Order: sequence, then C-alpha cells, then structure tokens
Amino acid sequence: MISPFILIAVFIVSTVLGYVIIRNVPSLLHTPLMSGMNALSGVTIVGAISTTGISLLSGGGWLSQVAGMIAIALAAVNVFGGFGVTHRMLMMFHKSKNRSPEGQNSASREV
Amino acid sequence: MTTFQILLSSLLALLVLAGISMMSRVKTAVVGNLLSAFALLVGIVATLLSRQVFSAWTIWPALIVGAWIGSLMARKVKMIQMPQTVALFNGLGGGASALVGLLSVAGVGFSTQQSASFADGSSDVFVRVAALLAVAIGLITLVGSLVAAGKLHRLLPQKPVVWPFHSLFTLLFLLLTVVLIVGSACCSPASFGGIGGRMLIIGIVVCSSCFGLWFALRVGGADMPITISLLNSLSGVAGAIAGMAIGDIFLVAVGGIVGASGLLLTQIMCRAMNRSLVSILTGGGRRKNSIKEPKLSEEMLETEGMTKETEQELINRIMDLEKKIKELEEMVRSLEERVQSLNQQVDALPAASALKEEKEEETPSAAGVLSRAKDVIIVPGYGMALAQAQYQVRQLADKLESRGARVRFAIHPVAGRMPGHMNVLLAEVDIDYEKLFEMEAINDDFAKTDVVLVVGANDVMNPAARNAEGTPIYGMPVLNVDAAPEVIICNYDLKPGYAGVENPLYSREKGVYLELGDAKETLQKLMSEMA
Repeated sequence: MISPFILIAVFIVSTVLGYVIIRNVPSLLHTPLMSGMNALSGVTIVGAISTTGISLLSGGGWLSQVAGMIAIALAAVNVFGGFGVTHRMLMMFHKSKNRSPEGQNSASREV
Repeated sequence: MTTFQILLSSLLALLVLAGISMMSRVKTAVVGNLLSAFALLVGIVATLLSRQVFSAWTIWPALIVGAWIGSLMARKVKMIQMPQTVALFNGLGGGASALVGLLSVAGVGFSTQQSASFADGSSDVFVRVAALLAVAIGLITLVGSLVAAGKLHRLLPQKPVVWPFHSLFTLLFLLLTVVLIVGSACCSPASFGGIGGRMLIIGIVVCSSCFGLWFALRVGGADMPITISLLNSLSGVAGAIAGMAIGDIFLVAVGGIVGASGLLLTQIMCRAMNRSLVSILTGGGRRKNSIKEPKLSEEMLETEGMTKETEQELINRIMDLEKKIKELEEMVRSLEERVQSLNQQVDALPAASALKEEKEEETPSAAGVLSRAKDVIIVPGYGMALAQAQYQVRQLADKLESRGARVRFAIHPVAGRMPGHMNVLLAEVDIDYEKLFEMEAINDDFAKTDVVLVVGANDVMNPAARNAEGTPIYGMPVLNVDAAPEVIICNYDLKPGYAGVENPLYSREKGVYLELGDAKETLQKLMSEMA
C-alpha cells in the first residue's frame, strides 16, 4: 500500500500541472477540450477494474461483483464515448482548416 | 506497488498532460486527444497486468458493453446534442467513481497484502475518508450531471426550479454530507463495521445525492456552461479521491489533472460572465436584488457622497438633455417625412421609372444593407443552436464572400449553453476557424464594420450590461454590437434573454433591422432577397 502522503503529494502536483497547462487555451477549443477532459475523468475505470477483479479473485460476494460491473460499464461509456465525441469534434475543426485555402481562392476569383 | 509501476504511472500521467497541452492548439488537437486516449488504454492494460486480474471474467462483459454503448453514442449523437452528451458521460464517470468508493469502503477489492497493512490501522481512516469522499463527490457529479443533461435535453424545465427553502436545504445537505464524513473518520474500525457504519454510509449517499439534485435544479439556461464545466472538474476530483482510496497513483494523477483544469475552465467562464461561482451555485443571488432604475440612480449618487443640491442639479441637467434629444428626434422625423413626400413627388415625374431600380436599393432593408456591405461581422448565439441555423449562416457567409465582402464571426465566451458551443456548431458546417474571433480580438472592430448580423444572441450583446446596475448582466463584458452602423437581428422574438434584461438595441431607431422568427427561415429570406 502506498503511503497516503505520497498519494496526496501526487494529487497536489498533478493539480498544479493541470492548472498551468490549461491557462492559455483559446475559447475556440473549450468544448473539445472539456469533452476530452471529460473522457479522461473516466480514468476511474482503472479503479473499477482492479477493485472488481481483485474482489472476484479473492472470493467476494455477488453484490460487489454487480456493483463493480456497473462501475466498469459506466466508466467505459464515459471513456469510449468521451474520446469518440472529442475526436469527432476535432476532426470538424481539422476539416475546415484543410478547406480554407480553397474557399478563399474561390472567393477572390469571384471578386 | 513496485518502483516500475510508479514510474509507469508517472510516465502515463505525463503523456496525458502532453495530450491535454496539445489539445490547446488547433493544429495538434487531434493528435493530443489520441495521445490521451492511448495513455488511458495503456493505463487500463497496465492495471490488468499489475493487479493480475486478467482472469476475472466479470470484467470483460462489463467492459465490452460499456465500450460498445459509448462508441455507439459517440458516433450517433448529433453535434447539436453535444452539451447534454458531455454532461451525461461526465455523470456516468462520477457514478463509477462513487461505486468504486462504495466498494472500497466496504473493504472489497484489496489484495491480501494491502489488507494486511490495514490491520495496524495506520491507513484505515485515510482509506475510509477517501472512499466516502469519492462516494459523495461522485454522487453529486452523477445526480448534478443527470439533471443538467435533462435540462439541456428539455426533459426538465430550462428555467431555474426553486423549491421552498431551497438555499437552506442545499446548504443543509452539503453540511450533513461533510459532518457524516467527518463523523465516520472519528469512528473506531470496530464501531464503523457495525450497523452504525452502514447508516453513516447510507446517510452520505442520500445527502450528497440530494445536494446534487438541489443545486443543479436551480441552475438556469445561461449558467449551464459553467455548471457543466464545474461538474466535469468534480468528476475528475471524484476519480482522484477514489484513486486515493484504492491506492492507485495513475488514477490520482489523472483525476487531479482533470479536476484542476476543469476548475480553471470554470473560472475562465465565470470571469467572462462576471459572476462568481458561489452566486451560480446559490441561484444567482444578484438577480433578486435588482432594483428599479430611478431609485437606483438616486442611491448611486448618495453613495458617492454628493449633496442634495448637486444631485438635483444633475437630475435637472439629465432632464434637459432628454428634452433636447426628444426635440432632435422630432426634427429627424419631420425631415424624414419631407424626404418621403419629396420622393413621392419625384416618383410622379415621368423620368422616375428609369430610376426606379436605384431607388429601390435606397430604401433601407436588411437584405439591401447586406448586399452593399463590404465588411460583415456575424454574432451567433444560443438561438442559432436552437434553430439549427448554422447551415444557413454558412450559406449566407458564402454568399457575402462571393460578393467580395469580408465575413468574420464574433464569439462571446459564454454564447450558447457550453463553452465553445458556437465554435463547434460553426466548425460543423465547415466555417474556417480563422474567421472566428474571440471577444477581445474583435470588439474594437464593431465600430469599423459595415453590418453586424446577430443570429439568436441577446444577452451577450446587450448594451444594458454596461450601465444597468443591479441587473444580473451588469458588468458582464459584452460584444460591442451597438457600435456598428447597421445591425440586423435575426432573433426569434424580442423577449429579454435569460438574464431578463430588456435590450435597448431592439428599440434603437436607426440602423437596426429586426428579422424576427425562426432563424432558419429569416436567414433564408434574407438570402433570397439579396439575390
């Protein structure tokens, strides 16, 4: 078991890092970023998997298995759905970027 | 946990950080997202290996079902439904964290080696508190997000719902949750194992869920972006704390990153709306103290320490000015009448028919103004999302550009129901993001542009925000739409926006064209009239 102090230290360090990194995000990307972050919060799937797995292997009751399975499923929806949606959104930004030169050309031609 | 596992966890957490920082630039965003996803995948596999739970068969069906549902939703959901989808996913993550917390507080899912370390009681209280906190925060996230998603999906009323003694109950539930968690920390392991412990856990579950319900129900439409962002941050925190309970460094690190960055995003939005987080959570207290304007101006003067005489003098001067404005307005009106009558006389002349085409262009109409414009700024708002008019906006922008006009989009930080809502909708219809400008970047250009086209936006461009003290939008930075010479407003109606403050722009006499109704139709009409 890791010492609580290390866990708290890790929490604080990562909090500060996260804070620093997000400071300069253009609002253009707020939605994709939030949605990506949201997908990341499904990281709790890691906890759900280990808890459920260990519980089963050490002969835990069926109630904990049901709860664990629900936790895994919920977190999996969060992770897969979150990253999928974010990817879709970002691809739209990408698409419009690639198209811009064409659009500008056609506009200037018609002028 | 071995040194190798700690190293791997740190490495993965750094990968996640790198992914997020790449997501803050458009060019690298896609790769950044994939990188974070990859890091998470490696984290899952590493957990399966390090905890030796590959053979636990119950994991697999749950994982597959969840992944299948998630992927399906990610592919099927419409862009317009993005806010509620994000809210829903977020809630599910919170729910999962709460369940992990519940399991670990029940003492399930610790390896024998871990359980052994509990025997001395050193980390027992820490684990218990962490687990209960995870339960509480996870449930607040779950219930709050479900309510938010329900509101965004219009299953629940969009307006703030206020029950009797709402603030009191909200506070009470929060306090009770905290008290119960503190109380459980003080229990001895033996007494916590009994019926009392179970009652405590049930109490925490009920109180935290009620808190989530109470606070989210009270949030109305325009505060939704902030609420979702806050819930997003909370779900990260819930994950991190669940990670503390089960001693998983990777979970703690990533949860911490999400929690902090979500909170920062929330702050950025609060600042953009000039509202404090507390006032949103407690139901926007400022709206209640809105004072009627005349009374207000008196109060204002008094607080500035003016004597009665100067006050009276000022009031007199203001009244004089108002009188003069009225006189001037009447002069303009009579001039307009003369112009009209002259026009009619000219029409009567035989040569007038030749000039008719030109004259038609002279009569001010929204379409005419647009076809002559060389520089147009479009201001989208929630109405555009509601009417799904982004396609028409795109067509109109194309049409203007094909006539040689420069088209830009001014995006208010809180336009829509979610941060960046407008950007996503405009990107959906392939509008180049280099044409999208943030408020600070474009606000000085409104005065220089020819026409501003407002599509379903109200509060974010309400000039009253600058001087209507005591209203909820007072002091909120707004787009300087009123500085533009010509303004075309394609809004559904003239009702005040969510903030409930009349928009003086609607009654401006010159250079404002109101095209009321469904934005899809009004934009279509504008385009056909331009042709």
